[in-house]
Amino acid sequence: MELIFSLFVFAVPLVVCGMIIGRSVEKNHFAELDQKEAANRDFLVTNLKTFPMAAAGVQDPAIVMSEVVIGSDYLKSWLAGWRGIFGGEIKSLQTLQVRAKREAIVRLIDQARQQGFNAICNLRVNSANISGVAKSKNSLPMAVVIATATAYVARPKH
Amino acid sequence: MIITNTETVTGYEITEMKGLVQGNTVRTKHAGRDIAAGLKNLVGGELKGYTELLTESRREAVQRMMAQAQQLGADAVVNVRFTTSAVTAGAAELYAYGTAVMLRKIG
Repeated sequence: MELIFSLFVFAVPLVVCGMIIGRSVEKNHFAELDQKEAANRDFLVTNLKTFPMAAAGVQDPAIVMSEVVIGSDYLKSWLAGWRGIFGGEIKSLQTLQVRAKREAIVRLIDQARQQGFNAICNLRVNSANISGVAKSKNSLPMAVVIATATAYVARPKH
Repeated sequence: MIITNTETVTGYEITEMKGLVQGNTVRTKHAGRDIAAGLKNLVGGELKGYTELLTESRREAVQRMMAQAQQLGADAVVNVRFTTSAVTAGAAELYAYGTAVMLRKIG
């Protein structure tokens, strides 16, 4: 009885809260990413170890790094819990990871642009863990991404 | 000093290998930041405190790596790699390592 009571007092408002606020946060973030990525079309991004199309005798290349940590909302965490019972793709957490990865790349490009570069190569996107042991009950689901690349000046595209 | 995560540096050739250089750090944020992150996890969105934690850790690790390279008298550190590990909740270990080299401008 007490369990059902606490479920209604805590879980239901939090799921509703996640549904309303969390959904709009995600929707806005995706819209923002679409817009920024469209603006970055002219920027050459590769994960090659060489410097494709490098211009000679200009600025020295430099490393660029970005980090993104995005938290889950209560609805996503709750849905993930249910998915754990039946198995299969956890769509709610998949979109969370995608947002973190796309955001990290957008920030890398921003940084490179600020330093006067127009291309990055050897892009590496890694995940990190700052929530401690992932399996523990009180660890919060979050997407932690660290991205690294080398910025350089490329010849303009023809 | 030039730092890259590529094996070569465009516009330069490597003339001398100085060897491996490395730097690491384990950092955490104050408890208030952890509580704020816990609350933010109910509604979603970026956990800025933790992003900052990673940025600071990465900067610190790179600086320590660069200090080692400077001691060896290197011009650049190439093929830089980062690894992270989970030490405890709310803390990040960042380890940066690369190869210190001497460069000569070409062309």
